[in-house]
Amino acid sequence: MRFPWPSRRREHDPYWERFIHRAPADPNNLITHAFKAVKPGGVNPVRGEIHSPDVMTSHVKELGRFFGADQVAVVQLGHSSELPFAIVCGLRSEYDTRTTPGVGGQAPALKGLFVSFNLVAYIKELGYRASRSMDDAERLAVIGSVGRQGPELHIAEVIRTDLPLQPDIQEQASV
Amino acid sequence: MAAESEAPPRAHFDPTRDTEFGVPDLGRTVRVVGTVINVDREETPHPKVRRGEVGKALFNYTRNSVAVDPLGRTNSPFRSRDAGNFFTTALGQAPNGTMNPVRTPVDDPAAMTRHIKRVGRYLGADIVGIGKAHPALLYGGGSLDDGGYTLAGATDAESPQELCRKYPYVIVTPVAWDYALAQAHRHHIGDAAYDTTLMQTILVLTALERYIKELGYSALRGRVNPQAAALAAGVGELGRNGLIITAQFGARIHLNDAILTDLPLEAGKPVDLGVEDFCKICRKCAETCPTNSITFEGKQVFNGIEKYKIKWETCYKLRPLVADYWNVCLTCSTVCPYTKPNVWWRTLALRTLTTTPIRLRPIVVRGLKWIDDRFWGKTPSRRVRWLGYDSGIKPGVKACTVAGCSAQHGDSNRPVGLSPSANVGYYAPLKENTNRFAKR
Repeated sequence: MRFPWPSRRREHDPYWERFIHRAPADPNNLITHAFKAVKPGGVNPVRGEIHSPDVMTSHVKELGRFFGADQVAVVQLGHSSELPFAIVCGLRSEYDTRTTPGVGGQAPALKGLFVSFNLVAYIKELGYRASRSMDDAERLAVIGSVGRQGPELHIAEVIRTDLPLQPDIQEQASV
Repeated sequence: MAAESEAPPRAHFDPTRDTEFGVPDLGRTVRVVGTVINVDREETPHPKVRRGEVGKALFNYTRNSVAVDPLGRTNSPFRSRDAGNFFTTALGQAPNGTMNPVRTPVDDPAAMTRHIKRVGRYLGADIVGIGKAHPALLYGGGSLDDGGYTLAGATDAESPQELCRKYPYVIVTPVAWDYALAQAHRHHIGDAAYDTTLMQTILVLTALERYIKELGYSALRGRVNPQAAALAAGVGELGRNGLIITAQFGARIHLNDAILTDLPLEAGKPVDLGVEDFCKICRKCAETCPTNSITFEGKQVFNGIEKYKIKWETCYKLRPLVADYWNVCLTCSTVCPYTKPNVWWRTLALRTLTTTPIRLRPIVVRGLKWIDDRFWGKTPSRRVRWLGYDSGIKPGVKACTVAGCSAQHGDSNRPVGLSPSANVGYYAPLKENTNRFAKR
């Protein structure tokens, strides 16, 4: 419930603009940048028991929200046969991560990294392949009705996987 | 102990010698009453367990065990199958940033304090506490563990006193775990809630540490006892269960480490949440602890500090025995009357307690404890279902209770071992392992 009168005004923060907008002098002070050097973990050679695809989809979505995503969608990819499903996560943000290179501006990307990494780790530990990348993330987010990357939404790295899921929507091969 | 007298003098805080710092104010629950030896990080429970000093079973548990649960393999350093699938280890492999040579001038420490608190919350912390550094809060020695801790601008030779002069503030950024999920403690569900917040706390600490370096100031980790820092910063008070009890979340917060910094800030003051009065009477954690690790008696003086001392060895020794079913026990945190959802009636109860004069508080505590026993029970036992997990199923029994799941799970595709009452989780009897510990 929201009251019609405005809440108490936030006191002036002279450092906030810098936190959001100024790119760090050492790019490694941005965890999302430093994290590119990290090698991905391996896939568990022993596959765990999984539930039926519709249940697994709901579990993956719930887990994504548990790790911090606000919206999760599963898209069936039209072209790739090896990793046929894409899991797209959207996080609410206050700034557009494409135009705010500061530590604060990139905070939604950091939270997105946490979501993607942990979902990939979970799927790999279940014994299925999974990888995360920014390739086509914005387009797949639109297809999956997650939303458009912008000042209010950050699209995290897309997870491509062969875990049997029930997709929300099918990507058209010709698109 | 005999060998200790032959060893060179260890770093310590002596109230009669270090008058410059004075006796630290840590609130009503913890008092520094004598000389405090700065404990080395290597002497704390985790490293002792990893070195095998607490027995073979625990050594194997931390070194050689792999979690049965796939989620457990992704959120615990002790129980991962491939460390590359554990976020915190991966984060430790990411290269460290360097300190910005251009310092951001700070004219108004109060404004910077507001900023750092806002930044911490923006990055994901539930509470951000800033306290005054004090030699009694610091670890001695300088060894670092393999968890990705970084040292910037300090050498191991610096004494705690010198460190506190150079870096006068400590920052703690705890993350609270989910109340509803942790009701299924002693279960993979509770583990997930607990272990995920550990990863989040470390992520916030790392991000904040690098941001402070980016501002041109030092940020040292692995130097301060986070519980002591949380007390000094006014994040909460120390309970009988050895956990920091906070105003908003009770004992369900994850502190991992604290940042020691020279960024000009304004330190907070210890808070009074009535924990001192409550713990004297309540003893719910001591009664439910499956290993009797929590004292029923009063406070003890240990290493110059008067506080409730828990027997951490017995607490740890439960873990390898139950490793197939869950990772962390969390009974003491879950049963604590302070651990409740952060809602209005909780705030009301806390305000009633803290606004009562100290002399009259025992009456209020008895009333609140009666309400707690009446409505939340004397032992936590709520059944929780989350993802495919169901805390109503006996630990170790394979059963799928997910509605609508048509997958073949072998012969065990039937709910087995469900509690007779649909709303009760499988936690009883809580004390089943007590004798193992009492007899040793």
